Amino acid sequence: MSVMRSSKTRPVPDAARSRPHPVKRTFASRILGGGNEPDPRFTLANERTFLAWIRTSLAMFGGGIAVEAFTGDLLTVDIRKAVAVLLLVMGLLIAGGSFFRWLNVERAMRRQSPLPMPLILPILAIGGAFVGGVLILVVSRSN
Amino acid sequence: MLRPRPHNSHHSDPGLQPERTDLAWRRTALSLLTVSALFLRWTPLDGWVAVMLVVGAGAAAGITVLSQRKRYLFAVRKVVTADSSTPLLAMFSMSFGVSALAAIGIFTVLFLPAPR
Repeated sequence: MSVMRSSKTRPVPDAARSRPHPVKRTFASRILGGGNEPDPRFTLANERTFLAWIRTSLAMFGGGIAVEAFTGDLLTVDIRKAVAVLLLVMGLLIAGGSFFRWLNVERAMRRQSPLPMPLILPILAIGGAFVGGVLILVVSRSN
Repeated sequence: MLRPRPHNSHHSDPGLQPERTDLAWRRTALSLLTVSALFLRWTPLDGWVAVMLVVGAGAAAGITVLSQRKRYLFAVRKVVTADSSTPLLAMFSMSFGVSALAAIGIFTVLFLPAPR
């Protein structure tokens, strides 16, 4: 056993040495769907990814508020409202979807199954491209 | 963060996962504060609904910062002891709270009779 201990090449967190660790039967564990407790480093990484999505959602808010509040001389009322609402809807979908994304990744890690595709990514890509296209079109026509 | 760490905040993770997660929460709180300040721009036109958005985003930022120490120690305990508890409520509250802010913002733009 001492040979095994000394053969360790890099330090791992204390928790990583004691897996698989059964999940306590709490309300959270029922939501998370059982399975084994994953490496805490991965759950914390999942938490940070969730927070990055929340900040992306808040950036959408910033865009929506800015378009609505500061483009009075450039865009007509209807276009301004439409772009602002679209950005806020994207923010809403990303903020709501990020929780389910986090939950699905957490469940997949507990079952040691492949991580699911990020379904909120197309919302960001398509919505962002659409809003960008509309703004380019409107601004280029106004000059 | 300026106070010295208590004894139970020590861990052996060289990747500093708890610190990185702590900073991610604090960055998110800062983003909420920024959004709160941006919503101030709507207050002259939209009155109490805009004030609600300013206060809501600001309160979310404040609660996040004030409860962050507990979450950091929670993350340390998770790394050290493989504690199986999960911050489900914090994640849900953040996601639901930000969604609610977006919903009120959409309502403000679409239905409030401000001279836009």
